[in-house]
Amino acid sequence: MDFFLDSLLLSRLQFALTTIIHIIWPVLSIGLSLFLLIIEIFWFKTGREVYYRQARFWSRLFLLNFGIGVVTGIPLEFQFGTNWAPFSIQNGDFFGNILGFEAAMAFMLEAGFLGIMLFGWDRVAPGVHLFSTAMVAFGASLSAFWIMAANAWMQTPDGVHLEHGRLVVDSYSAAIFNPSAFTSITHMWVASVETTLFLIGGISAWHLLKNRCREFYLISFRLALLSVIVIAPLQIVLGDLSGAVVARHQPAKLAAMEAHWQTNLPGQGAPWVALAWPDPEKQANTWAIEIPYGLSLLTTRSLTGKVTGLRDIPRENQPPVALPFYAFRVMIIIGFLLAFLMLWSAWVFIRKPLTLAHIDRQRHLLWAWVGSAPLGYIAVESGWITREVGRQPWVVYGMMRTEDAATSLPAGVVMTSLAGYTLIYGLLLFGYLFFVRRIIRQGPDLTSPLPAPEQHSPSPAGAGPALEDRQPLGGD
Amino acid sequence: MQDLQMFLANIWYFLLGLVLVLYVVLDGFDLGVGMLSLFARDERSRGIMMASLGYIWDANETWLVILGGMLFGAFPLAYGVMLQAFYLPLLLMIFGLIFRGMAFGFRENADNKRPWNVAFGLGSLLSTLAQGLILGGFISGIPMHGRSYAGHVWDWLTPFSLLVAAGAVFGYALLGAAYLIIKTEGEIQKLNYRYAKIAASLMLLAAAGISIWTPLRHAYVAERWFVWPNFFYIALLPAGAFCSFLMLMRSLQKRQERAPFFWSLGIFLFSFTGLAVSLYPYIIPTTVTLGEAAASPKTLVFMLTGIGMLIPLMLGYNAYQYAVFRGKVREEQGYPSGS
Repeated sequence: MDFFLDSLLLSRLQFALTTIIHIIWPVLSIGLSLFLLIIEIFWFKTGREVYYRQARFWSRLFLLNFGIGVVTGIPLEFQFGTNWAPFSIQNGDFFGNILGFEAAMAFMLEAGFLGIMLFGWDRVAPGVHLFSTAMVAFGASLSAFWIMAANAWMQTPDGVHLEHGRLVVDSYSAAIFNPSAFTSITHMWVASVETTLFLIGGISAWHLLKNRCREFYLISFRLALLSVIVIAPLQIVLGDLSGAVVARHQPAKLAAMEAHWQTNLPGQGAPWVALAWPDPEKQANTWAIEIPYGLSLLTTRSLTGKVTGLRDIPRENQPPVALPFYAFRVMIIIGFLLAFLMLWSAWVFIRKPLTLAHIDRQRHLLWAWVGSAPLGYIAVESGWITREVGRQPWVVYGMMRTEDAATSLPAGVVMTSLAGYTLIYGLLLFGYLFFVRRIIRQGPDLTSPLPAPEQHSPSPAGAGPALEDRQPLGGD
Repeated sequence: MQDLQMFLANIWYFLLGLVLVLYVVLDGFDLGVGMLSLFARDERSRGIMMASLGYIWDANETWLVILGGMLFGAFPLAYGVMLQAFYLPLLLMIFGLIFRGMAFGFRENADNKRPWNVAFGLGSLLSTLAQGLILGGFISGIPMHGRSYAGHVWDWLTPFSLLVAAGAVFGYALLGAAYLIIKTEGEIQKLNYRYAKIAASLMLLAAAGISIWTPLRHAYVAERWFVWPNFFYIALLPAGAFCSFLMLMRSLQKRQERAPFFWSLGIFLFSFTGLAVSLYPYIIPTTVTLGEAAASPKTLVFMLTGIGMLIPLMLGYNAYQYAVFRGKVREEQGYPSGS
């Protein structure tokens, strides 16, 4: 089979496989570190034991998650050199630089304070511990900033030009803050937060349904719910903004995402294709369910705005259509499902406060939360598939084609590494899920002694007056 | 412009060397402890060995990521070519690191610890061997055609690189044993005094072999070494390494706690300086000099502000984290077991 002999295809598969699995962990690291920071601020301010227990319980998940995230991330950086050497040699001046920034500014910051955050409760003053947690959270988000800036640059390269096949950076600010940087960074960051919140909410809901540690899980459920009231609609707005940027700067990708073949004539609106079977051979949809004027309205904010169709893009520059089209729809459906779940929950708990007694009568709602726990991940994955497949056949949009970016390697070598990665990443994912399940089943430790930092005041609120009766989450 | 670029390229060559040393020493003892865990007498001592790394292994491994990012940004050509040349040993190194990460993540949560013990020990061994093979292959030179790699995927596998790999195993085991001497007490510490002696002696043999074989096998090294007065200065480096070795053996004999790590560090620093002196100005021996592989001055300056200036800060907070966890490992420290 030719398939096994094509080292370009194998390298692409390998990168796709390793990124698709790797992204699972950073998403939770970003969101969970922020959650832990907020929990610890409550603990620091109020000294209420339940917040300490919260911090310790979710930290266990964070510890497992972070370590696996580190080791699955290393292969990504190295693959740029091993499998994509021409890409690295041409674009290193900018792309390599940014990856270096990410490692030195963000990644090391996380790792450098992680030990204190996870194991240092008895060794440093509460304020120092809080600072360490803040640094871990800041590092995780900063890491997302740099990685997304680098990826956004691949989508909408700016601030550079090519000289004798080598990249010259004209303006770093233009390259870093390229046209899609803002929407890419915010959309991914909020996606990480939203995924984490529905995971935490789902885990908490499951324990509430199972009558385990109810007071404990009510706290995390409530915090997740309150946060998604802001986050879920925000993500829909950011997704919409993101789409508008794609329409302006990557018309081929937009047309593929929407299975839009024929540019609309002046005075006519482009329809939004809700569902279709795209056929690249015929350069048309075999069948389609369309909403008139929809696409023009969505992308240009005008009923008859011009939206370029795929037929106006040379065949050799067209991305695959079916995959981005369907992956995009999966992401959108999940985005709205999660927003709907948020509205449903808000509706229920606006009428009656979120107490244990009340929550017992909302079993359907809780089960919906349990079911929503993995949805954020699926949305992130399908969003990335849309983003990366839609950029094809370019690796750097309009500047470098994917086929020119790959190292010419013997196919057998790439086959070997691909097989190795498949096996090991499969094992990692399986083991991770197995042990996450175990941590969640074990539940929080509610009995171990509170932290007593050596040589420091034992009171966690030692820096200020303890506010025992203050409840930042609203009354019980 | 040319002068400026050479100046900046030299600064980045130095910084790259600095971060490489940091990685080799810090992840070196980390990997060394991992290999020594294969000899652990029981579950309890293995737990203590892993706990001694629990708070720091992520950060130690992160130096490798920074090293990769620095090489990628500052010397893109070298990054592309070397990573391609070492495709297979890099793969082994990465798999080894993943096995270690699995062991750290899964062992504490598992009832049956055996598979993760094996993953930790063998993963460490695999990564170390791979790093040694890469170093050996690197010293041997990388053939190029134009701006791309012109060698074979198996070029790095030679008797010479196998010797370097053996040296790496003994060297890291020495660092690991010296670290455990600082972090443990009682039976484990006693054992590690013995392991440190054995590892140091074997490492000395390997290093001597490498030092003799390198100039014989590689003309560019011989040209650097066997020229008067270069020879005199360069000879100071192996002499320094040998003195460090003697001091190390003495400190082990006297059962000192911190001195063995210090003198092990000495051996590494002298050897590394020797290597750097032999290679300069090549970044890919013997085909590409650092000037040819360097990114544009603009990139090098921009990276200095974002990475170069951060190195002291990174060192600072890493040192702080070590200070917070100073002293002997407590059993309950490290990964919270089933709490």
